[in-house]
Amino acid sequence: MSAHETEARKGAALGAWLRGAWDVVVLEAKQRLRSRGWYIMLAVWFVVIGLVTWLTWASWNAQRELNRAISSPDGVVTDLPPESAGPGSMIFEVVLAFVLFLALIVAPALSANAVNGDRAQGTLAVVQATLLSPGQILAGKLAAAWLAALAFLAAAAPFLVIGVALGGMSPATIAVSLLMLAVELAVVCSIGVGVSALAGRPLFSIVVTYLIVALLVVGTLIAFGFGAALARGTIRANNPSYLENIPTRPQAQIVDPGYTCSGPLTQREVVRTERVAWFLAMNPYVVVADAIPYPDRSRDTSPYPQGAIESVSQGARAALAGPDATYPCVNGQPKPSYFVQTTPLWPLGLGLQLVLAGGLFAAARSRLVTPARRLSKGTRVA
Amino acid sequence: MSDQPVPADDDRDEGKDDGAGPAETGAAPERGVPQAGIEVRGVARSFGPVHAVVDMDFDAPPGQVTALVGPNGAGKTTLLLMLASLLAPDAGSLRIDGFDPLSDRAEVRRRVGWMPDTLGVWESLTAREILVQIGRFYRLPSSAAASRAAELLDLVHLGELADQPARVLSRGQQQRLSLARALIHRPTTLLLDEPAAGLDPASRVELRRLLRSLAAEGTTILVSSHVLSELDEVADSAVFVSAGRTVKHQRVDDSSRGRRYALYALDLGAARARLAELGVVFGEEQGRRPWLSMVLGTEDDAARLLRDLVSGGVPVTAFAPASGALEEAYLQMGVERR
Repeated sequence: MSAHETEARKGAALGAWLRGAWDVVVLEAKQRLRSRGWYIMLAVWFVVIGLVTWLTWASWNAQRELNRAISSPDGVVTDLPPESAGPGSMIFEVVLAFVLFLALIVAPALSANAVNGDRAQGTLAVVQATLLSPGQILAGKLAAAWLAALAFLAAAAPFLVIGVALGGMSPATIAVSLLMLAVELAVVCSIGVGVSALAGRPLFSIVVTYLIVALLVVGTLIAFGFGAALARGTIRANNPSYLENIPTRPQAQIVDPGYTCSGPLTQREVVRTERVAWFLAMNPYVVVADAIPYPDRSRDTSPYPQGAIESVSQGARAALAGPDATYPCVNGQPKPSYFVQTTPLWPLGLGLQLVLAGGLFAAARSRLVTPARRLSKGTRVA
Repeated sequence: MSDQPVPADDDRDEGKDDGAGPAETGAAPERGVPQAGIEVRGVARSFGPVHAVVDMDFDAPPGQVTALVGPNGAGKTTLLLMLASLLAPDAGSLRIDGFDPLSDRAEVRRRVGWMPDTLGVWESLTAREILVQIGRFYRLPSSAAASRAAELLDLVHLGELADQPARVLSRGQQQRLSLARALIHRPTTLLLDEPAAGLDPASRVELRRLLRSLAAEGTTILVSSHVLSELDEVADSAVFVSAGRTVKHQRVDDSSRGRRYALYALDLGAARARLAELGVVFGEEQGRRPWLSMVLGTEDDAARLLRDLVSGGVPVTAFAPASGALEEAYLQMGVERR
């Protein structure tokens, strides 16, 4: 009974907390919806992604015309193999990569002046003096920035749908990729809001947020590369002897991986990629690509990943598995050329991103706690 | 600070019951408040090497307007920020209606309306939207916030501009909006930082009238200002601060030290003769017109002297305190400027 009551009280408290945070969202959204700049950005975004989609489609068409001209100069059209039945997957991949790229550019602009912009405007202290808690203010600002970013995603969605419609892709693919794009936007927005509370001036916090995004996109690759150079180790392996590849033999009869292992086991110097794969996992492109489901291709006629998304995911998963799972003839075992790794990498990457964003957010919250004991240099409460 | 519960001022709640409906209970003060008013004891606060507030000590009773007077950099704004529960004091204690901003932040915020010296305005929102939104932040239900906003917009004469974006408001209008914002949740305590700055004379008179009527309803009002003549009219007492310390707390009608009066007459010679006859010590002053100055103990003394002068045939054209009471006290204080 009393447990029931505490439960109910907790529920009511949460409801009140959320209502307060929502009021902040309303305040932010009203301002955003009245600024012309936001609409201009949205329009530019729509046009640019539309252009990219059209260009991809046009180039695919041109390529197909060229292929036809070469393969059937007399004009007889032969059926194309099923995996390249339409431009869908290519358009989808190009547009997805481009949308993620632009999203990573837009999200800091929408979020990284949330707190210090208000401080400069003189409105932060007025809000802090009300019954709102620092957590409500920050959560409201984050939600508002995220909703604004989602509007951009919504504007890009039609082009992703075109990709799905034009080629045999499952609706699950687009659902998961939109979801993961939304999650990545949330991560970048919370980094932006967090930095904006920690840095004194909007310009500085926007630049810092861009730098953090650049670290995630490019820095993780560099760190992985350099880290791999340092993460040396040894394994024991013997030598693969490759089966002869007879062109007349149907491909399906070649048994994967196409080699056998023989000879004495010897120590081999290898790169222990599994030790630094977490760098790779933090990359937003890897997180999104790895989360998108794709079929196990090990039984396909050509056991290789199809398209960029799958390749990124396979490469990253192979790096995470390390040489023990991928080196040919490690411990005398042949390894399949198509690496079957069902354990996804993206939860690790997203988890690390959330730790980063959450840490910044917590630090930001402590900056907004009132009555304030310590003020950062050169700031005024009001 | 006494812990004895003092019954809350019932009139206040009844008096404010107009318009907002039943929903306003969220922000209304509770009954049984231990000690109404503001209490400041030995408060200090520094920012790194800058000691903004060194040692401040005073009470501001409910139902009165208390002026916080001091030169720039004396620590007035810092003190108000601490009372508004935005800054924590390094030492000393603060109480608002008996609540400590450090431990009872929500209670303090429910009671305090704070009007900052810097004008923060959401430029793209309208005056009405700003008030409603701030009302929501004080957990007023939407309908109550809307009716309260309408009421306050009329009170500060922004009714016609209510639905214009705040960026079109002039400085004085923004100042009035800021005052309305501070009043949205019917606070028991008002902290006003330079409220008269940027106001035209009519608005100043309005502000004065508004503060007096709020005080009459029992609100504790603390006003910081430089415009001493303004405060003379509205304040019941004044706390003088200098270099982070409270140096003096006096009632505006306090006349223990006597006041300097100015006497203008068509015939200064006759006035001199009559004053000498009455045995009043006076000084000669040179101004746009020459005048005579004298220090008088009480207002009764002044009234008696004027009667004697007039009945003695002196053609008096003006007889009044030479300067505002606060200005005189302020100048006597020999304050330090930073």
